[in-house]
Amino acid sequence: MIFGYAKMAITLVMIIGVGGAIAYVYKLRADNAVLKANNMVLEQSVESQKKVIEQQKKDFETILETNKKLTTLSNNLQKELNDLDKRFTKQGRDIGKTAIAKDKAIQRIINKASVMALRCVEISSGSPLTEKEINATKKSEINRECPSIANPNYVPY
Amino acid sequence: MFLTSCSSIKKIETFFTPVERERLNLVEPVLPKLEKIKWIVITSENADEVFAKLEEQGIDPVLFGLSDNDYQLIAKNFSQIRHNLKTKSEIIKSYKEYYEPEKEK
Repeated sequence: MIFGYAKMAITLVMIIGVGGAIAYVYKLRADNAVLKANNMVLEQSVESQKKVIEQQKKDFETILETNKKLTTLSNNLQKELNDLDKRFTKQGRDIGKTAIAKDKAIQRIINKASVMALRCVEISSGSPLTEKEINATKKSEINRECPSIANPNYVPY
Repeated sequence: MFLTSCSSIKKIETFFTPVERERLNLVEPVLPKLEKIKWIVITSENADEVFAKLEEQGIDPVLFGLSDNDYQLIAKNFSQIRHNLKTKSEIIKSYKEYYEPEKEK
């Protein structure tokens, strides 16, 4: 009788043990599946983060380049403003006195400059450059009021 | 099925919201060709001649004048305005290129 109970108990323990082992294997399989899925998601996430970092790098480069471009433009325009000032006062020049002595010549000069200055406003507002303006390389061909924006191929000499 | 749901490891969830902003697409204003203006240099010596010429051409003998110093100032002011206009125009262009780049084909 006692032997019979012992046998039953052992069988029960064995059944529970086998059942537990099967459950554990299933659990491991489930964990494995989840880990695989997580791994895939993480890989995708790393990939997208790499793209974000790459884009940020490109953005910084663009920002630097744009700032540089604007600084150069501003310096060029400031130089033109200084040049204009110099033109009026160069070698003790007095435009008033010169105009009294040579009224017709001065009138011709300022009317010519006025046409160029108006063209500069048009260019500043987005008007496209003409072939003549683009190809100008000599002093006699350029727009003296704003060569830095009107004549991209002109190198001051 | 029952056993797999017993897993103690939680699934990672990530969210992506790739929503692109609509482009502003404002039309760039085109400045019409500016009218040519004519400067007349008038001095105490040529004043009579200048007014006579104006009348001869059927133009009212009246001039809106600037002294030589003010002429220099107006020239410099216009230069400053051009400077500012060009810089602002470039800034707008840069913003557009930065925030609304042409899509790569």
